[in-house]
Amino acid sequence: MTQKTILRSDELSCPSCVPKIEKALGALPGVEKAEVKFNSGKIEVEHDPAQASVEALVEAIRGTGYEARPSAF
Amino acid sequence: MEGMISNIRSALAHPASRRLWLTIGSGAMILAGLIARYGFGQIEVWRVLMIAAALFAGWDIAIRAWRALRVKAFSIELLVTVAAVGALIIGEVWEAAAVTFLFIFGGWLEARTMGQTRGALKALLDAAPATATVLREGEPVEVPAHMVQLGESVLVKAGQRIPVDGEVTEGSAAVSEAAITGEPMPAEKAPGSHVHAGTIAENGLLRIRATGVGADTTLARIIHRVEEAQEEKAPAQRMIERFAQWYTPSIIGLAVVAFAVTQDIRLALTLLVVGCPGALVISTSVSIVAGIGRAARSGILIKGGQHLESAGRIDTLALDKTGTLTEGKPRLATVIALDGMGEDELLRLAATAEAGSDHPLGRPIVEAGRKQGPLPTPESLDERAGMGISARIEGRDVAAGNRRLMDKLGIALGTENEAGLGRLLKAGQTPILVAADGKLIGLLGMSDTAREGAKEAIVRLRDIGISRVVMLTGDQQGAAQAIAREVGIDEVHAGLMPEDKLDLIRKMKADGAHVAMVGDGINDAPALAAADTSIAMGAAGSDVAIETADIALLKDDLGKIPEAMAISRATLGNMRQNLVIALVTVAGLLGGVFTGHIHMAGGMLVHQLSVLIVIANGMRLLRVPNAAAVGGNDSRAVAARQAVAAARS
Repeated sequence: MTQKTILRSDELSCPSCVPKIEKALGALPGVEKAEVKFNSGKIEVEHDPAQASVEALVEAIRGTGYEARPSAF
Repeated sequence: MEGMISNIRSALAHPASRRLWLTIGSGAMILAGLIARYGFGQIEVWRVLMIAAALFAGWDIAIRAWRALRVKAFSIELLVTVAAVGALIIGEVWEAAAVTFLFIFGGWLEARTMGQTRGALKALLDAAPATATVLREGEPVEVPAHMVQLGESVLVKAGQRIPVDGEVTEGSAAVSEAAITGEPMPAEKAPGSHVHAGTIAENGLLRIRATGVGADTTLARIIHRVEEAQEEKAPAQRMIERFAQWYTPSIIGLAVVAFAVTQDIRLALTLLVVGCPGALVISTSVSIVAGIGRAARSGILIKGGQHLESAGRIDTLALDKTGTLTEGKPRLATVIALDGMGEDELLRLAATAEAGSDHPLGRPIVEAGRKQGPLPTPESLDERAGMGISARIEGRDVAAGNRRLMDKLGIALGTENEAGLGRLLKAGQTPILVAADGKLIGLLGMSDTAREGAKEAIVRLRDIGISRVVMLTGDQQGAAQAIAREVGIDEVHAGLMPEDKLDLIRKMKADGAHVAMVGDGINDAPALAAADTSIAMGAAGSDVAIETADIALLKDDLGKIPEAMAISRATLGNMRQNLVIALVTVAGLLGGVFTGHIHMAGGMLVHQLSVLIVIANGMRLLRVPNAAAVGGNDSRAVAARQAVAAARS
């Protein structure tokens, strides 16, 4: 069962982070699609929470150097 | 001791605080090194401290470069790592320390300031409360706001934010809608009123039946639209992104070629440092995010960079009258019964016919008719767009509408009634002629009042350079002129059918004007679509308006139009300034590197400074002044606050 999770980060300061974060998330097992919207700082992830939890997503983004938090919309 | 270690650990786990600590750490080592060398002549101490500083800050950069490389992402961190390692190898320890320090320090500052640029939207996001108090089996229970079920009763106390869209079922309160509409004056809410998630109950206690929760609230839709608008790329941004894709690889190629030709490793490493066109790639984004965010804070939704651009160029503004320049709540001002007809009977027949129409002019007639008692149901109804309505009521053929309808039905007015009609028109009223069985039985005069602040808004529009302000209305000349005089518009086109409005807009455009059209109703839809920029008013109540207009004003306030134009122009100008700053930086850096004026540390410094300047310039847009300060708005807000204070005590 995949679900869509929306994360937000205020820290994206250069669009070069977009592919970095997308690829880091995409490399996690259970993540089907990850899209980073630079201008609004929104990160949309389609993932299977059983394989990749929301915490794991936050951790993967943190690994690329940015803090993000889940958001209801 | 253990506590301290875990404190340090958690501080370092968060990217923002880790960057700060790395900056402080490597900065302190660099400072100590400089003191050792220039204060005490300790060159060896200086060298060790510089290497330590470079490793301390560089370690984090290298790890991030490696992580990116592992998922096959090319990163700026990789360029900086290669440059810093290269500098250490050739013994340029100062350059290595300075480059890594500046990269980390700049990254920390940029992340913070970019967060502020996005801050206007953050205020909207924060407006949505996380939890709601609902009544379940008579007991108040606290649940996450998006878990409230539709139809459940939500309790909101004084000072709390309303967590859902809904209808008030019990209680009353002054509700501040500032977060959504930008309106500082709280609105009085009582049973039957609609309230939006994100607004604040300033006093009282409300019980609300939830009609929309979570992503299905007006607030969420607004946030969604603002974000979509911010993501929509202006043409300039697309061009820059193509340039950036090509820029970094070619700089790397250039570094390799430069080294092969000149054997100058310093030159090659410096090129790597300036290889990210940082200021350029964010130059337009920063302006657009800040401009659209600033507008959203005032309850103005601008639907993307492209609309910012066209709104910034507008020189002609066309406005619909009813519901745009006026309150859109006409009153029945004059009733003239003719031909032995009683006023009551005239109103009863007219109201019965109008009850079959949803035209705003009909509503007060229907209300007046209902006061006489229940209205009969007409046997048949025929609404004629732009003219009125005809109906068969109790065996009589009744028609209510404008002059055109009477002409069409072949009903003559006669000189006396012509004079009566003339008097109504002269008084600025919109006449509705009522006929029964082919004979005129009465004249009704409707009047509508101009919106508060309309006159000031028109003055401001002219002040900011909208040279031509035009009224387009389906209403008749007399009524249109009366309102036009009141608000200070001198060009009036009255008696228009929807397609006439469309033709006029097309003609203005053909004459070279950049036209914005402000309207509300369905009859404005073709003209709105034809204009360069379409502006819808009162969009908080209508999702259609939010979806279709280029600029949606969440509140019925004409003062927001000059504000929207001012923000658009400021944003366009800001974008151009940022582009110039960024292009000059790129040219200056490359020129400086090749003429030997800029080395690694200097290149990194200029690069980071240009990024910060571009962000700071964009942030100026958040301070575009509020145009709501025209006219009596301030005193109204003060009076409202006093009323709220009085209600509290």
